[in-house]
Amino acid sequence: MSGRLFSEAELKRICQEAVRAAGGEAEAAVDAKTLALTRFANNVIHQNVASREAELRVRVADGKRVGMVTTNDLSNAGIARAAAAARDVAQRTPENDTFAGLPPALPIANAPSAFADRTSSATPLDRATRVEILLRHAREGKLTAAGYLSTNTYESAVANSHGVWAYTPSTMAAIETVVMGEGGSAWAERNATDLDRIDVPSAADEAIGKCVAAKAPRDLAPGAYEVVLETYAVNDIGQFLASVLTGEAVEEGRSFVGGKIGQKVTGPLTIVDDPFDAELVPKPFDAEGQPSQKVTLIADGIARAVVYDHQTAARTRNTSTGHALPPNPFQSASPQHLRIEPGTKTRDQLIREVDRGILVTRFHYTRWVHQLRTIVTGMTRDGTFLIEKGEIAHPVKNFRFTQSYHEALGGTLGIGRDLQLFAAGEWTTGQRRVPALRLASFSFTGATSF
Amino acid sequence: MAFAAERDLARRGVDTANMRGASYADTRFVRRQVEDAAVKNGNVDTIDRSDTFGFGVRVLADGAWGFAASQVIAPAEVDRVAALAVEIAKASATAKLADVRLAPVAAARGTYRTPIEIDPFSVSFEDRVGLLVAADEAMRRTKGLRTTRAAYEIWREEKLFVSSEGADLEQTLYESGCGISAEAVGDGELQIRSYPAAGGRTQNAAGWEFVRDWDLVGHAPQIAEEAVALLTAKPCPQDVRTTVIIGSAQLMLQVHESCGHPIELDRALGTEAAFAGMSFLTTDRLGSFRYGSDKVNIRIDSTTPGGLGTFGWDDEGVPASEGWAVKDGMFVGYLMSRETAAALGKTSNGTVRADGWARLPLIRMTNVSLMPGEFGTLDELIADTDDGILMDTNRSWSIDDKRLNFQFGTQIGWEIKNGKRGAMLRNPTYTGATPEFWGSCDAVCDESEWNMWGTPNCGKGQPGQIAHTGHGAPPARFRNIRVGVMK
Repeated sequence: MSGRLFSEAELKRICQEAVRAAGGEAEAAVDAKTLALTRFANNVIHQNVASREAELRVRVADGKRVGMVTTNDLSNAGIARAAAAARDVAQRTPENDTFAGLPPALPIANAPSAFADRTSSATPLDRATRVEILLRHAREGKLTAAGYLSTNTYESAVANSHGVWAYTPSTMAAIETVVMGEGGSAWAERNATDLDRIDVPSAADEAIGKCVAAKAPRDLAPGAYEVVLETYAVNDIGQFLASVLTGEAVEEGRSFVGGKIGQKVTGPLTIVDDPFDAELVPKPFDAEGQPSQKVTLIADGIARAVVYDHQTAARTRNTSTGHALPPNPFQSASPQHLRIEPGTKTRDQLIREVDRGILVTRFHYTRWVHQLRTIVTGMTRDGTFLIEKGEIAHPVKNFRFTQSYHEALGGTLGIGRDLQLFAAGEWTTGQRRVPALRLASFSFTGATSF
Repeated sequence: MAFAAERDLARRGVDTANMRGASYADTRFVRRQVEDAAVKNGNVDTIDRSDTFGFGVRVLADGAWGFAASQVIAPAEVDRVAALAVEIAKASATAKLADVRLAPVAAARGTYRTPIEIDPFSVSFEDRVGLLVAADEAMRRTKGLRTTRAAYEIWREEKLFVSSEGADLEQTLYESGCGISAEAVGDGELQIRSYPAAGGRTQNAAGWEFVRDWDLVGHAPQIAEEAVALLTAKPCPQDVRTTVIIGSAQLMLQVHESCGHPIELDRALGTEAAFAGMSFLTTDRLGSFRYGSDKVNIRIDSTTPGGLGTFGWDDEGVPASEGWAVKDGMFVGYLMSRETAAALGKTSNGTVRADGWARLPLIRMTNVSLMPGEFGTLDELIADTDDGILMDTNRSWSIDDKRLNFQFGTQIGWEIKNGKRGAMLRNPTYTGATPEFWGSCDAVCDESEWNMWGTPNCGKGQPGQIAHTGHGAPPARFRNIRVGVMK
């Protein structure tokens, strides 16, 4: 059975009926999803879930007054109730002087499909069978695995009274695992729109192989070290920097590129947002139904641009780049298809070029310490190693770091040639494709006992 | 009866699951109505009213778990979802090592409703939004601010729980929350002050009286002035050890992160290992591990008035309860589910909750609170401190995957010299390891300084879930703490 809950025609009818029922200037959007996730720990499947969820969001403007209602009742009566309630809220809300109206209908370019039937039609047994491959490997190695395999289907549609209509389905399959052994652990992750492109044995080999190498980590004094960051750790940097490469962050004085467009802000890295990258879950429009553009954010270390939604663009006399998120009080826009352009080195070459440094598999529980300076604190996790004379010398216990991410990128010494896809998580927006990086200095400010 | 029509469907879900081979089944119907309002820089930024209604069926079949959920409320869909839950459980069983066992619980029947003074949905919309506009305006009278924000959330959740063991429970839970914040930018600095707490708002299981009593408008000028003053305040001393007094609004998050999460028994047993992590509070340490000094008493209590973890029964039908996590500094209690309690030969203390109808119930903090000590007021504690730093209101938080090594930043700090509050400090941070930190606690303020805070943003689980948890805390003092870690 497909995970698609609607056809394009059904969603068009729902959205357009909501816009019509709201009357005047109005927008309607539906986000529908079928989530299926098989979770494992202690080498067994312990949580295994599936849900069908769809939500209609109606935003109504009454001049400068705006109201929004969200419902999961997509019946005709539910649509009518939501539209009327949104109109009522709008009429009773104080004016927003900066409201720029709902956006116009603009041509939306075609993007490669991000939908795979194999993912959408996956069964519980499809997922369990793949998980069992990994669990069997872990048991054979006398190791313990935890993680999940998911097969999700999404549909996104938006219409407004100015003629906007946009729709796209997509899928995402993913496996994540931490494998734990005596004193050490390791991580592997794979994401793809097509379940058949999820290579479970390779993920198992990566995590199990690294877990064995991570056994019995040693103490190492915190301090500033040269580092090679695996793609998992680089993904975290991309995620944090993306959140402030927006017009809203610049407007609020929270962005490291504020007032620095045209200036050097990192080392020789190029970071783009590319909604048409076939390997990056392409989507050609944003939550307001505006065409998403490819935006070069940082070119060879020089800040070039930030992304905009319609409202922020109007408020700051810019043009929307088609990167709006659903209206919310926290973040209006985001680069949702972030790519750090690849270099020429393999991961092993990056390691071989380090005389003394740290190999970091991934970061854990990272949080802003100072957003404007992009200072983040967090831990290393699931495979941290000392590199000496181009070789992995031995595993080390995990560090706490406190580091400005963009300043760390200022010391970029090498860029991996292979990009890895990371899907939008429950706590993050957008997808990213990033390489491994070799950086001149990273500030480890503490250590833990494991 | 909020669920007169759905009760038959709930029973149908349980019966269908049993007929398909489930040895245990429960159905939960959940209807959630929320209104979020946000004012930013003098303009109403977002008004979002949302309602969501659906059901989930959880089953044990072939000794393993399955869960499925839908928002289509119809008999045929209930049958499909119940059958799918059983199919999923049987797929889970292909990778099992032993059958799941559940600790026993008496099949309860009853209703529960959050006691409130003023139904937040009955307050006029204009009055609700007007309060935010007035608070925002009161902040903006201070010159030098870049961004001001004011927000509230009001919440009502109606839940029906029916199980194959005979439970039949209806609950109506109310919450109200609010907050303001002011941000100032200049000379490479970005400073924020918020009230009453960080993260946009604090929240309680309460009516509109909760919002009224915080007096956002009255506190707006001070918050605004502090944000501007922080731009030119002295930097926190860098990488030194000193005495730290932590205010209630910050200490509640310290409790959440360094006690609330590590006492989750699912973490200790490894079932959250890949995502949230595990716990240094392993089962062999229960009852014998010194978690903190003898001043430290931390309670697990889902009956505390106002707490976001206060309810009649959890989402497994286990009644609300009270007990100790840490007593006189010793680790003595976990947050447990029926499954994890059985692993320890215990019964559940009722801490399992789901984020709405579409998610699987998990162990979540209820109200995990640092209980009042005997020291007196915050002013008295400052007067008793020769040299140190007072820090309050969270700005940054991070902790390792076993909940040992942590680092927190706060919005504001003050020097303490010779028993007096001195100069304001910007960018305060402190770091440490959980048992050493709590072991260094030598004074906890009394009940007059204790407040029940709410964290309506606790993430856990895959797919991700947000829980609303309660944490009471007074200010407390800690010796020899490493402060000022910022590159």
